[in-house]
Amino acid sequence: MIVYLLCFVLLLVGLFGVLTKRDLIKIILSIGILGYAVNLLLILFAYRKDSVYPILAKGKEVAQMVDPLPQALVLTSIVIELGTTAMLVALAIKLFEKYQTFDISQIRRLKG
Amino acid sequence: MQQNDGMTLIVKTVTRISVWMILLYGIYIIFHGHLSPGGGFAGGVIIALAFLNVLLAYGRKFTSDWLNISFLHDLESASATLFLVIGILGISLGGAFLANFITKGELFALLSAGTILPLNIIIGIKVGMSLFLVVWVLAGTKIVKGE
Repeated sequence: MIVYLLCFVLLLVGLFGVLTKRDLIKIILSIGILGYAVNLLLILFAYRKDSVYPILAKGKEVAQMVDPLPQALVLTSIVIELGTTAMLVALAIKLFEKYQTFDISQIRRLKG
Repeated sequence: MQQNDGMTLIVKTVTRISVWMILLYGIYIIFHGHLSPGGGFAGGVIIALAFLNVLLAYGRKFTSDWLNISFLHDLESASATLFLVIGILGISLGGAFLANFITKGELFALLSAGTILPLNIIIGIKVGMSLFLVVWVLAGTKIVKGE
């Protein structure tokens, strides 16, 4: 149970960063932490005590395995997170080109 | 070699040795994707990191001389088409999209598991090239220094 609570704390850390930080790069990093917390939660749901990774290797006996479905799901989620992060960084660079700052309290007027 | 381009001599020397090892490790991860943890995506990311190492250590001009960027772009687009070609070959030869149509081989052998190995290689090329090109484009943006 404690691992789920710690996972939720990680999610709260990401949410704290998104809500309180003013720097655009820090906000992007916080969105990354939010995503990691969700991925970790999905992997924790699939975990069973005393079970092995779901890959059949040479000379390995067939034993109780963890659920491989969330692991495949999380791999896709990581790929999508990579794409969204790249797009956020591109948008941040465009904003910096226009306003010369990453501080979101300075980015408020339509300019140019 | 210009001194003001890229990082210091120490970083350049270490990169010159380590980049081939990183590339080899990425190729190993791709080729063993059907036997052990890893596969196309993980190996492709490692290959992209090897190229990014060169970009960080040597600077943009050296990298564009060393690598043919437009060829990497073509390779990235061609790998998606190749994936589709293998999928459609599965329709014509195996009966369903991405169905296996070559021999499955022996269990736990390197050349086994049918079309998974070529598909892993294609995915590795696609992921590696596109990840490198994303950072290449982002790093090429001219940013005027802020006040």
